[in-house]
Amino acid sequence: MTRIDASAFLGRWPFRPIEGTVAKLKAMMRVNGLEQAVVSSFEGPFYADPEPANEELLRKISGRKGLWAAPTLNLRIADWREQMERLAGNPQVRAVLVAPTFHGYEVSACEEAARVAASHELALIVQVRLEDERHLSPILELPAASVKEIVSVAASAPKARIVVSAARLTEVLEAGRAGPRPALKNLWFGMSHFDGLDCIQRACQAVGARRLLFSTSWPFFYAKSGVLKVEEAEIAVPSRGAIFGDNARRAFALR
Amino acid sequence: MHAVIIDIHAHPGYGRDLATLREEFTPAVRAAERCGVRWICLNAIADWSESPRPKAVREGNDAVLSFMAEYPDRVLGFCYVNPRYPAQALKEIDRCVVGEGMAGIKLWVACNASDRRVDAIARRAAQLGVPILQHAWYVRRGGLKGESVPADVAAMAKRHPKTMIVMAHLTGAGERGLKDIAPYPNLHVDISGGEPEAGMVELAVKLLGAKRVLFGTDTPIRSYGATLGKVLEAKLTRGERELILFGNARRLLRRRLGR
Repeated sequence: MTRIDASAFLGRWPFRPIEGTVAKLKAMMRVNGLEQAVVSSFEGPFYADPEPANEELLRKISGRKGLWAAPTLNLRIADWREQMERLAGNPQVRAVLVAPTFHGYEVSACEEAARVAASHELALIVQVRLEDERHLSPILELPAASVKEIVSVAASAPKARIVVSAARLTEVLEAGRAGPRPALKNLWFGMSHFDGLDCIQRACQAVGARRLLFSTSWPFFYAKSGVLKVEEAEIAVPSRGAIFGDNARRAFALR
Repeated sequence: MHAVIIDIHAHPGYGRDLATLREEFTPAVRAAERCGVRWICLNAIADWSESPRPKAVREGNDAVLSFMAEYPDRVLGFCYVNPRYPAQALKEIDRCVVGEGMAGIKLWVACNASDRRVDAIARRAAQLGVPILQHAWYVRRGGLKGESVPADVAAMAKRHPKTMIVMAHLTGAGERGLKDIAPYPNLHVDISGGEPEAGMVELAVKLLGAKRVLFGTDTPIRSYGATLGKVLEAKLTRGERELILFGNARRLLRRRLGR
Protein backbone atom coordinates (compact mmCIF):
# COMPACT_ATOMS: atom_id res chain seq x y z
CA MET A 1 0.00 0.00 0.00
CA THR A 2 1.68 3.21 -1.17
CA ARG A 3 1.70 6.02 1.33
CA ILE A 4 1.87 9.61 0.13
CA ASP A 5 1.85 12.63 2.43
CA ALA A 6 -0.26 15.31 0.74
CA SER A 7 0.95 18.11 3.01
CA ALA A 8 4.38 18.50 4.57
CA PHE A 9 6.53 21.60 4.99
CA LEU A 10 10.16 22.60 4.86
CA GLY A 11 11.57 25.69 6.52
CA ARG A 12 11.09 27.41 9.86
CA TRP A 13 7.85 27.93 11.74
CA PRO A 14 7.95 31.54 12.94
CA PHE A 15 6.35 31.14 16.37
CA ARG A 16 8.09 28.10 17.90
CA PRO A 17 11.46 26.49 17.28
CA ILE A 18 10.23 24.02 14.65
CA GLU A 19 12.21 23.44 11.48
CA GLY A 20 11.60 21.06 8.61
CA THR A 21 14.72 19.95 6.78
CA VAL A 22 15.01 17.45 3.95
CA ALA A 23 17.01 15.09 6.15
CA LYS A 24 14.36 15.17 8.90
CA LEU A 25 11.59 14.79 6.34
CA LYS A 26 13.22 11.76 4.79
CA ALA A 27 13.70 10.23 8.25
CA MET A 28 10.05 10.86 9.12
CA MET A 29 8.96 9.27 5.84
CA ARG A 30 11.16 6.24 6.42
CA VAL A 31 9.84 5.69 9.96
CA ASN A 32 6.22 5.96 8.85
CA GLY A 33 6.54 4.02 5.61
CA LEU A 34 5.83 7.01 3.37
CA GLU A 35 7.15 6.76 -0.16
CA GLN A 36 6.29 10.23 -1.43
CA ALA A 37 5.39 13.65 -0.04
CA VAL A 38 4.04 16.90 -1.45
CA VAL A 39 6.05 19.62 0.21
CA SER A 40 5.47 23.35 0.65
CA SER A 41 7.41 26.11 2.33
CA PHE A 42 6.57 27.14 5.90
CA GLU A 43 7.67 30.65 5.02
CA GLY A 44 5.57 30.89 1.85
CA PRO A 45 2.25 31.94 3.47
CA PHE A 46 4.08 34.47 5.68
CA TYR A 47 6.04 36.20 2.88
CA ALA A 48 4.18 38.91 0.97
CA ASP A 49 6.08 37.72 -2.08
CA PRO A 50 6.61 33.98 -1.62
CA GLU A 51 8.99 33.65 -4.58
CA PRO A 52 12.21 33.55 -2.47
CA ALA A 53 10.61 30.89 -0.25
CA ASN A 54 9.70 28.87 -3.34
CA GLU A 55 13.19 29.14 -4.77
CA GLU A 56 14.59 27.83 -1.49
CA LEU A 57 12.05 24.99 -1.43
CA LEU A 58 12.83 23.93 -4.99
CA ARG A 59 16.58 24.11 -4.37
CA LYS A 60 16.25 21.89 -1.30
CA ILE A 61 14.21 19.14 -2.93
CA SER A 62 15.77 19.30 -6.38
CA GLY A 63 16.34 15.78 -7.68
CA ARG A 64 15.17 14.17 -4.42
CA LYS A 65 13.22 11.05 -5.25
CA GLY A 66 9.69 10.93 -3.85
CA LEU A 67 9.50 14.63 -3.03
CA TRP A 68 7.12 16.85 -4.97
CA ALA A 69 6.76 20.60 -4.58
CA ALA A 70 3.70 22.73 -3.97
CA PRO A 71 5.14 26.26 -4.02
CA THR A 72 3.10 29.14 -2.63
CA LEU A 73 1.47 31.86 -4.72
CA ASN A 74 0.10 35.18 -3.48
CA LEU A 75 -2.79 36.04 -5.78
CA ARG A 76 -2.48 39.70 -4.85
CA ILE A 77 0.84 39.89 -6.66
CA ALA A 78 0.27 41.14 -10.17
CA ASP A 79 2.38 38.54 -11.96
CA TRP A 80 1.14 35.43 -10.15
CA ARG A 81 0.13 33.92 -13.51
CA GLU A 82 3.68 34.28 -14.81
CA GLN A 83 5.04 32.86 -11.55
CA MET A 84 2.73 29.86 -11.93
CA GLU A 85 3.82 29.35 -15.53
CA ARG A 86 7.48 29.36 -14.50
CA LEU A 87 6.79 26.93 -11.65
CA ALA A 88 4.91 24.60 -13.98
CA GLY A 89 8.10 24.21 -15.99
CA ASN A 90 9.73 22.39 -13.08
CA PRO A 91 8.92 18.66 -13.26
CA GLN A 92 8.90 18.34 -9.47
CA VAL A 93 6.13 20.91 -9.11
CA ARG A 94 2.78 19.14 -8.98
CA ALA A 95 0.66 21.81 -7.31
CA VAL A 96 0.62 25.38 -6.14
CA LEU A 97 -0.53 26.39 -2.68
CA VAL A 98 -2.63 29.46 -2.04
CA ALA A 99 -3.39 30.83 1.44
CA PRO A 100 -6.19 33.40 1.04
CA THR A 101 -6.44 34.47 4.65
CA PHE A 102 -2.67 34.79 5.04
CA HIS A 103 -2.33 36.98 1.98
CA GLY A 104 -5.57 38.87 2.44
CA TYR A 105 -7.94 38.08 -0.42
CA GLU A 106 -11.29 36.38 -0.82
CA VAL A 107 -11.49 32.64 -1.38
CA SER A 108 -13.48 33.36 -4.54
CA ALA A 109 -10.27 34.76 -6.09
CA CYS A 110 -8.99 31.17 -6.13
CA GLU A 111 -11.40 30.36 -8.97
CA GLU A 112 -9.21 32.06 -11.56
CA ALA A 113 -6.10 30.48 -10.01
CA ALA A 114 -7.77 27.07 -10.24
CA ARG A 115 -8.42 27.53 -13.96
CA VAL A 116 -4.87 28.70 -14.65
CA ALA A 117 -3.47 25.81 -12.58
CA ALA A 118 -5.59 23.37 -14.58
CA SER A 119 -4.21 24.80 -17.82
CA HIS A 120 -0.71 23.96 -16.53
CA GLU A 121 -1.85 20.53 -15.26
CA LEU A 122 -1.17 21.56 -11.67
CA ALA A 123 -3.40 20.96 -8.67
CA LEU A 124 -4.40 23.91 -6.51
CA ILE A 125 -4.01 23.49 -2.74
CA VAL A 126 -6.08 25.92 -0.70
CA GLN A 127 -4.64 26.25 2.80
CA VAL A 128 -7.44 26.75 5.31
CA ARG A 129 -5.15 27.38 8.28
CA LEU A 130 -1.83 26.35 9.73
CA GLU A 131 -2.34 26.78 13.48
CA ASP A 132 -5.22 26.34 15.93
CA GLU A 133 -6.76 29.83 15.98
CA ARG A 134 -6.84 29.80 19.81
CA HIS A 135 -3.03 29.75 19.84
CA LEU A 136 -2.33 32.41 17.24
CA SER A 137 0.11 35.12 18.14
CA PRO A 138 -1.70 38.22 19.42
CA ILE A 139 -0.22 40.14 16.48
CA LEU A 140 -2.15 37.99 13.99
CA GLU A 141 -5.78 38.26 12.97
CA LEU A 142 -5.95 35.18 10.83
CA PRO A 143 -9.32 33.55 10.36
CA ALA A 144 -9.60 30.16 8.72
CA ALA A 145 -10.52 30.17 5.04
CA SER A 146 -14.11 29.13 4.41
CA VAL A 147 -14.38 25.50 3.33
CA LYS A 148 -17.85 26.16 1.96
CA GLU A 149 -16.38 28.82 -0.37
CA ILE A 150 -13.59 26.49 -1.48
CA VAL A 151 -16.22 23.88 -2.38
CA SER A 152 -17.96 26.55 -4.47
CA VAL A 153 -14.67 27.32 -6.24
CA ALA A 154 -14.28 23.63 -7.09
CA ALA A 155 -17.84 23.52 -8.40
CA SER A 156 -17.15 26.55 -10.60
CA ALA A 157 -13.89 25.18 -12.00
CA PRO A 158 -14.67 21.53 -12.78
CA LYS A 159 -11.49 20.98 -14.81
CA ALA A 160 -9.27 22.02 -11.93
CA ARG A 161 -7.99 19.64 -9.26
CA ILE A 162 -8.45 21.30 -5.89
CA VAL A 163 -7.13 20.14 -2.52
CA VAL A 164 -8.50 21.58 0.71
CA SER A 165 -5.65 21.54 3.20
CA ALA A 166 -5.92 21.71 7.01
CA ALA A 167 -9.70 21.93 7.25
CA ARG A 168 -11.33 20.52 10.36
CA LEU A 169 -13.83 17.72 9.88
CA THR A 170 -16.58 19.89 11.37
CA GLU A 171 -15.95 22.47 8.64
CA VAL A 172 -16.22 19.83 5.93
CA LEU A 173 -19.46 18.52 7.44
CA GLU A 174 -20.86 22.05 7.73
CA ALA A 175 -19.91 22.82 4.13
CA GLY A 176 -21.82 19.72 3.07
CA ARG A 177 -24.89 20.77 5.00
CA ALA A 178 -24.79 24.38 3.81
CA GLY A 179 -24.30 23.89 0.09
CA PRO A 180 -23.50 21.35 -2.58
CA ARG A 181 -22.31 18.04 -1.13
CA PRO A 182 -18.54 18.41 -1.01
CA ALA A 183 -18.00 15.21 -2.96
CA LEU A 184 -17.11 16.80 -6.28
CA LYS A 185 -14.81 14.66 -8.37
CA ASN A 186 -12.24 17.45 -8.68
CA LEU A 187 -12.08 18.10 -4.92
CA TRP A 188 -10.00 16.37 -2.21
CA PHE A 189 -9.60 17.01 1.51
CA GLY A 190 -6.34 16.58 3.43
CA MET A 191 -7.03 14.95 6.79
CA SER A 192 -4.18 16.35 8.88
CA HIS A 193 -6.49 18.55 10.96
CA PHE A 194 -9.38 16.06 11.19
CA ASP A 195 -9.78 14.90 14.76
CA GLY A 196 -12.35 13.49 17.14
CA LEU A 197 -13.57 9.99 17.73
CA ASP A 198 -13.81 8.01 14.48
CA CYS A 199 -12.99 11.11 12.45
CA ILE A 200 -11.85 9.18 9.40
CA GLN A 201 -14.95 6.96 9.35
CA ARG A 202 -17.13 10.05 9.65
CA ALA A 203 -15.23 11.78 6.86
CA CYS A 204 -15.65 8.72 4.64
CA GLN A 205 -19.39 8.78 5.31
CA ALA A 206 -19.59 12.51 4.57
CA VAL A 207 -17.57 12.83 1.38
CA GLY A 208 -16.46 9.30 0.47
CA ALA A 209 -13.05 7.69 0.95
CA ARG A 210 -12.00 8.65 -2.58
CA ARG A 211 -12.06 12.32 -1.65
CA LEU A 212 -9.67 12.04 1.31
CA LEU A 213 -5.91 12.47 1.28
CA PHE A 214 -3.51 11.29 3.95
CA SER A 215 -1.64 14.39 5.15
CA THR A 216 0.48 15.16 8.18
CA SER A 217 1.21 18.92 8.34
CA TRP A 218 4.66 17.75 9.42
CA PRO A 219 6.82 19.16 11.04
CA PHE A 220 4.16 21.24 12.77
CA PHE A 221 2.31 18.06 13.79
CA TYR A 222 3.60 14.67 14.83
CA ALA A 223 3.32 12.65 11.60
CA LYS A 224 2.51 9.49 13.56
CA SER A 225 -0.76 11.09 14.69
CA GLY A 226 -1.90 11.26 11.08
CA VAL A 227 -0.72 7.73 10.35
CA LEU A 228 -2.53 6.24 13.34
CA LYS A 229 -5.76 8.09 12.57
CA VAL A 230 -5.95 6.20 9.27
CA GLU A 231 -4.53 2.93 10.56
CA GLU A 232 -6.97 2.67 13.48
CA ALA A 233 -10.03 3.73 11.46
CA GLU A 234 -12.72 1.08 11.03
CA ILE A 235 -12.82 1.31 7.25
CA ALA A 236 -12.44 -1.18 4.42
CA VAL A 237 -8.93 -2.02 3.20
CA PRO A 238 -9.51 -0.44 -0.25
CA SER A 239 -10.65 2.76 1.45
CA ARG A 240 -7.50 2.80 3.55
CA GLY A 241 -5.40 2.33 0.43
CA ALA A 242 -7.25 5.12 -1.33
CA ILE A 243 -6.67 7.53 1.55
CA PHE A 244 -3.03 6.59 2.09
CA GLY A 245 -1.96 6.98 -1.52
CA ASP A 246 -4.22 6.17 -4.45
CA ASN A 247 -6.21 9.39 -4.16
CA ALA A 248 -3.06 11.50 -3.98
CA ARG A 249 -1.84 9.97 -7.23
CA ARG A 250 -4.96 11.30 -8.92
CA ALA A 251 -5.09 14.63 -7.10
CA PHE A 252 -1.46 15.47 -7.90
CA ALA A 253 -1.07 13.41 -11.09
CA LEU A 254 1.83 11.50 -9.55
CA ARG A 255 3.57 8.57 -11.12
CA MET B 1 -1.61 -4.72 20.78
CA HIS B 2 -1.61 -5.83 24.44
CA ALA B 3 -3.90 -3.40 26.24
CA VAL B 4 -1.98 -1.59 28.98
CA ILE B 5 -2.55 2.10 28.28
CA ILE B 6 -4.60 4.26 30.65
CA ASP B 7 -6.57 7.17 29.19
CA ILE B 8 -6.81 9.62 32.09
CA HIS B 9 -9.19 11.99 30.30
CA ALA B 10 -12.29 10.86 28.41
CA HIS B 11 -15.94 11.84 28.13
CA PRO B 12 -18.79 9.53 27.17
CA GLY B 13 -20.13 11.96 24.57
CA TYR B 14 -22.06 15.13 23.96
CA GLY B 15 -25.49 13.65 24.61
CA ARG B 16 -27.86 14.78 27.35
CA ASP B 17 -29.39 11.40 28.14
CA LEU B 18 -27.99 7.96 28.85
CA ALA B 19 -29.29 6.38 25.64
CA THR B 20 -27.55 8.98 23.46
CA LEU B 21 -24.39 8.78 25.54
CA ARG B 22 -24.37 5.00 25.21
CA GLU B 23 -24.68 5.33 21.43
CA GLU B 24 -21.71 7.72 21.45
CA PHE B 25 -19.56 5.83 23.95
CA THR B 26 -19.77 2.36 22.40
CA PRO B 27 -17.52 3.29 19.42
CA ALA B 28 -15.11 4.97 21.84
CA VAL B 29 -14.65 1.67 23.66
CA ARG B 30 -13.95 -0.06 20.33
CA ALA B 31 -11.45 2.65 19.33
CA ALA B 32 -9.72 2.35 22.70
CA GLU B 33 -9.41 -1.42 22.24
CA ARG B 34 -7.92 -0.97 18.77
CA CYS B 35 -5.28 1.35 20.23
CA GLY B 36 -4.35 -0.83 23.19
CA VAL B 37 -6.08 1.26 25.84
CA ARG B 38 -6.85 -0.83 28.93
CA TRP B 39 -8.61 1.72 31.16
CA ILE B 40 -10.72 4.72 30.18
CA CYS B 41 -11.06 7.33 32.94
CA LEU B 42 -14.48 8.72 32.17
CA ASN B 43 -16.01 11.97 33.31
CA ALA B 44 -19.30 13.47 32.20
CA ILE B 45 -19.44 17.24 32.46
CA ALA B 46 -23.13 17.24 33.35
CA ASP B 47 -25.04 19.01 30.58
CA TRP B 48 -21.87 20.73 29.23
CA SER B 49 -23.06 24.04 30.66
CA GLU B 50 -20.30 26.06 32.25
CA SER B 51 -21.82 25.99 35.74
CA PRO B 52 -24.30 23.11 35.89
CA ARG B 53 -26.88 22.82 38.65
CA PRO B 54 -26.64 19.93 41.14
CA LYS B 55 -29.34 17.90 39.39
CA ALA B 56 -27.45 17.96 36.09
CA VAL B 57 -24.20 17.11 37.91
CA ARG B 58 -25.81 14.05 39.51
CA GLU B 59 -27.29 12.91 36.19
CA GLY B 60 -23.91 13.15 34.48
CA ASN B 61 -22.24 11.17 37.23
CA ASP B 62 -25.06 8.63 37.13
CA ALA B 63 -24.27 8.09 33.45
CA VAL B 64 -20.63 7.43 34.33
CA LEU B 65 -21.71 4.98 37.04
CA SER B 66 -23.79 3.17 34.42
CA PHE B 67 -20.76 2.83 32.17
CA MET B 68 -18.64 1.62 35.11
CA ALA B 69 -21.23 -1.11 35.67
CA GLU B 70 -21.43 -1.93 31.97
CA TYR B 71 -17.66 -2.01 31.44
CA PRO B 72 -16.19 -2.99 34.84
CA ASP B 73 -12.84 -3.96 33.31
CA ARG B 74 -12.58 -0.94 31.05
CA VAL B 75 -14.07 2.19 32.69
CA LEU B 76 -12.85 4.10 35.74
CA GLY B 77 -15.17 6.91 36.79
CA PHE B 78 -14.14 10.46 37.58
CA CYS B 79 -16.72 12.40 39.57
CA TYR B 80 -17.50 15.79 38.04
CA VAL B 81 -18.43 18.46 40.61
CA ASN B 82 -19.26 22.16 40.53
CA PRO B 83 -17.39 24.11 43.28
CA ARG B 84 -20.05 26.84 43.14
CA TYR B 85 -22.26 24.39 45.06
CA PRO B 86 -19.74 23.38 47.75
CA ALA B 87 -22.00 21.30 49.97
CA GLN B 88 -23.43 19.38 47.01
CA ALA B 89 -19.93 18.90 45.60
CA LEU B 90 -18.68 17.21 48.77
CA LYS B 91 -21.85 15.14 49.02
CA GLU B 92 -21.44 14.05 45.39
CA ILE B 93 -17.81 13.07 46.01
CA ASP B 94 -18.91 10.94 48.96
CA ARG B 95 -21.64 9.34 46.87
CA CYS B 96 -19.52 8.62 43.79
CA VAL B 97 -15.95 8.16 45.07
CA VAL B 98 -16.50 6.74 48.56
CA GLY B 99 -19.78 4.98 47.85
CA GLU B 100 -19.45 3.85 44.25
CA GLY B 101 -15.71 3.54 43.78
CA MET B 102 -14.99 6.30 41.32
CA ALA B 103 -11.26 6.83 40.86
CA GLY B 104 -10.95 10.61 40.73
CA ILE B 105 -12.57 14.03 40.62
CA LYS B 106 -13.06 16.27 37.59
CA LEU B 107 -13.20 20.08 37.61
CA TRP B 108 -13.91 22.04 34.45
CA VAL B 109 -14.75 25.76 34.07
CA ALA B 110 -17.49 26.38 36.63
CA CYS B 111 -14.96 27.93 38.97
CA ASN B 112 -11.41 29.10 38.46
CA ALA B 113 -8.84 26.70 39.95
CA SER B 114 -7.39 29.49 42.11
CA ASP B 115 -10.81 30.19 43.66
CA ARG B 116 -11.06 29.37 47.38
CA ARG B 117 -14.26 27.45 46.74
CA VAL B 118 -12.07 24.70 45.27
CA ASP B 119 -10.21 24.25 48.58
CA ALA B 120 -12.67 21.92 50.29
CA ILE B 121 -12.73 19.67 47.24
CA ALA B 122 -8.94 19.60 47.03
CA ARG B 123 -8.69 18.71 50.73
CA ARG B 124 -11.24 15.91 50.32
CA ALA B 125 -9.35 14.53 47.32
CA ALA B 126 -6.17 14.40 49.40
CA GLN B 127 -7.99 12.63 52.26
CA LEU B 128 -9.38 10.06 49.83
CA GLY B 129 -6.11 9.66 47.92
CA VAL B 130 -7.68 10.32 44.52
CA PRO B 131 -6.47 12.75 41.85
CA ILE B 132 -8.25 15.85 40.59
CA LEU B 133 -8.33 16.33 36.83
CA GLN B 134 -8.49 20.12 36.30
CA HIS B 135 -9.13 21.76 32.93
CA ALA B 136 -6.78 24.58 31.91
CA TRP B 137 -5.84 26.35 28.68
CA TYR B 138 -3.93 29.46 27.69
CA VAL B 139 -6.55 30.68 25.23
CA ARG B 140 -5.36 33.78 23.41
CA ARG B 141 -8.79 34.52 21.95
CA GLY B 142 -12.18 33.85 23.45
CA GLY B 143 -12.20 31.43 26.36
CA LEU B 144 -14.88 30.62 28.92
CA LYS B 145 -15.75 32.79 31.91
CA GLY B 146 -14.43 30.57 34.70
CA GLU B 147 -11.71 28.96 32.62
CA SER B 148 -8.39 28.42 34.38
CA VAL B 149 -4.97 29.05 32.95
CA PRO B 150 -2.03 26.92 34.11
CA ALA B 151 -0.94 29.61 36.60
CA ASP B 152 -4.33 29.22 38.33
CA VAL B 153 -3.82 25.48 38.62
CA ALA B 154 -0.32 26.13 39.97
CA ALA B 155 -1.87 28.31 42.70
CA MET B 156 -4.22 25.47 43.59
CA ALA B 157 -1.35 22.97 43.72
CA LYS B 158 0.71 25.29 45.92
CA ARG B 159 -2.13 25.57 48.46
CA HIS B 160 -2.73 21.79 48.41
CA PRO B 161 0.65 20.06 48.20
CA LYS B 162 -0.82 16.73 49.32
CA THR B 163 -3.46 16.69 46.59
CA MET B 164 -2.60 14.88 43.35
CA ILE B 165 -3.63 17.15 40.48
CA VAL B 166 -3.58 16.45 36.75
CA MET B 167 -3.83 19.58 34.64
CA ALA B 168 -5.55 18.81 31.36
CA HIS B 169 -4.40 19.79 27.88
CA LEU B 170 -0.64 19.97 27.29
CA THR B 171 -0.98 21.74 23.94
CA GLY B 172 -3.31 24.32 25.51
CA ALA B 173 -0.75 24.96 28.24
CA GLY B 174 2.19 25.38 25.91
CA GLU B 175 5.70 26.12 27.14
CA ARG B 176 4.51 29.01 29.34
CA GLY B 177 2.00 26.79 31.11
CA LEU B 178 4.54 24.05 31.71
CA LYS B 179 6.88 26.56 33.31
CA ASP B 180 4.02 27.80 35.52
CA ILE B 181 3.36 24.34 36.95
CA ALA B 182 6.93 23.01 37.02
CA PRO B 183 7.67 24.00 40.67
CA TYR B 184 4.83 21.86 42.09
CA PRO B 185 5.61 18.12 42.17
CA ASN B 186 1.99 17.20 42.99
CA LEU B 187 0.90 18.76 39.70
CA HIS B 188 0.95 16.74 36.48
CA VAL B 189 -0.14 17.40 32.91
CA ASP B 190 -2.14 15.24 30.52
CA ILE B 191 -1.48 15.33 26.79
CA SER B 192 -5.17 15.40 25.88
CA GLY B 193 -6.89 17.93 23.68
CA GLY B 194 -5.41 20.29 21.15
CA GLU B 195 -3.80 19.42 17.88
CA PRO B 196 -0.82 17.06 17.83
CA GLU B 197 1.76 19.83 17.75
CA ALA B 198 5.20 18.32 17.40
CA GLY B 199 7.71 18.63 20.21
CA MET B 200 5.19 19.29 22.98
CA VAL B 201 5.52 15.90 24.66
CA GLU B 202 9.32 16.15 24.68
CA LEU B 203 9.04 19.66 26.11
CA ALA B 204 6.76 18.44 28.91
CA VAL B 205 9.22 15.68 29.79
CA LYS B 206 12.10 18.15 29.74
CA LEU B 207 10.38 20.71 31.99
CA LEU B 208 8.42 18.42 34.35
CA GLY B 209 10.09 15.03 34.09
CA ALA B 210 8.44 11.96 32.57
CA LYS B 211 6.81 11.06 35.91
CA ARG B 212 4.50 14.06 35.64
CA VAL B 213 3.13 13.54 32.12
CA LEU B 214 0.07 11.35 31.48
CA PHE B 215 -1.66 9.97 28.41
CA GLY B 216 -5.20 11.30 27.92
CA THR B 217 -7.32 11.84 24.85
CA ASP B 218 -10.34 14.03 25.63
CA THR B 219 -12.33 11.63 23.45
CA PRO B 220 -14.77 12.10 21.73
CA ILE B 221 -13.37 15.59 21.05
CA ARG B 222 -10.04 14.07 20.02
CA SER B 223 -9.17 10.66 18.61
CA TYR B 224 -7.17 7.80 20.06
CA GLY B 225 -4.96 7.58 16.99
CA ALA B 226 -3.96 11.24 16.95
CA THR B 227 -3.20 11.25 20.67
CA LEU B 228 -1.30 8.00 20.71
CA GLY B 229 0.78 9.30 17.80
CA LYS B 230 2.04 12.12 20.02
CA VAL B 231 3.65 9.66 22.43
CA LEU B 232 4.86 7.13 19.88
CA GLU B 233 6.65 9.72 17.74
CA ALA B 234 8.06 11.82 20.58
CA LYS B 235 11.78 11.31 21.14
CA LEU B 236 11.58 9.45 24.44
CA THR B 237 13.17 6.44 26.06
CA ARG B 238 11.05 3.31 26.39
CA GLY B 239 10.84 3.89 30.13
CA GLU B 240 9.59 7.47 29.67
CA ARG B 241 7.02 6.32 27.14
CA GLU B 242 5.71 3.65 29.52
CA LEU B 243 5.43 6.12 32.37
CA ILE B 244 3.34 8.42 30.17
CA LEU B 245 1.13 5.72 28.69
CA PHE B 246 0.32 3.89 31.93
CA GLY B 247 2.94 4.02 34.71
CA ASN B 248 2.09 7.44 36.08
CA ALA B 249 -1.65 6.85 35.90
CA ARG B 250 -1.29 3.58 37.77
CA ARG B 251 0.55 5.47 40.51
CA LEU B 252 -2.11 8.20 40.75
CA LEU B 253 -4.96 5.69 40.60
CA ARG B 254 -3.47 3.23 43.07
CA ARG B 255 -6.43 3.65 45.44
CA ARG B 256 -8.62 2.10 42.74
CA LEU B 257 -6.19 -0.11 40.80
CA GLY B 258 -3.99 -1.27 43.68
CA ARG B 259 -0.21 -1.16 43.65
